[in-house]
Amino acid sequence: MEITTKRTLTVLLVLAWIIFVGICIEAGGFIVNAFFALVNPSVVKHLWHEADLSALLVYNTWYFFAAMLLMSVVAILKAWLFYLIIKILHDKNFNLAQPFNGVLRRFIFNIACITFMIGLFSWWGVKYTSWLTGQGVAIPDIQDLRLGGADVWLFMSVTLFVIGQIFKRGVEMQAENELTI
Amino acid sequence: MPIIVNLDVMMAKRKMSLNELSEKVDLTLANLSILKTGKAKAIRFSTLEAICQALDCQPGDLLEYSKE
Repeated sequence: MEITTKRTLTVLLVLAWIIFVGICIEAGGFIVNAFFALVNPSVVKHLWHEADLSALLVYNTWYFFAAMLLMSVVAILKAWLFYLIIKILHDKNFNLAQPFNGVLRRFIFNIACITFMIGLFSWWGVKYTSWLTGQGVAIPDIQDLRLGGADVWLFMSVTLFVIGQIFKRGVEMQAENELTI
Repeated sequence: MPIIVNLDVMMAKRKMSLNELSEKVDLTLANLSILKTGKAKAIRFSTLEAICQALDCQPGDLLEYSKE
């Protein structure tokens, strides 16, 4: 079976949908956790087992909400990132014959900004949880809190910013090429 | 742009319409229109050659440099 660009994009769309649904469930789980901590704190330990922050809730409610906020923001930003990927693949806003256009340039710039924010919040979350661990609070692993890989996200955002700049030049060159008679 | 395309002047001198030139040089009307209105960013030597042949003129008759 020949691997064409169209087929590759279809596979990527399916993968993006699966990841998007997973991340939405994750973000929803964190938000539900925070909500029940506010309404009925005794339920929290029965909710998301991997991200069990009940010890932190007992230690300090505000610290708990700060941790939940960081985790939720990271999860929502990841969901937003995959929403944009799905949107661009679904709308088919790009023309493979003339791929350098304003829509794709904005898309690359947007995902670069989002990945930068994910990296920033993840890094902040890691620092915060390590500070809490230093305070003697039992905190789950940062991988379970979905805060790991801040350096990878930041590296990805820098790479995307560079690609965005190259793409910008590509848009100009394509416009020039179109106006060459 | 300081380069002015005098295609319309040469066409008027040779009494040739855009349709006729389009057929002779094998270019679309849209592309010839871009060239005629000065919106073009560049011109290929092959295109210039074909237009010069069709209008029986020199490249200098079609292109002019003027300080802005």
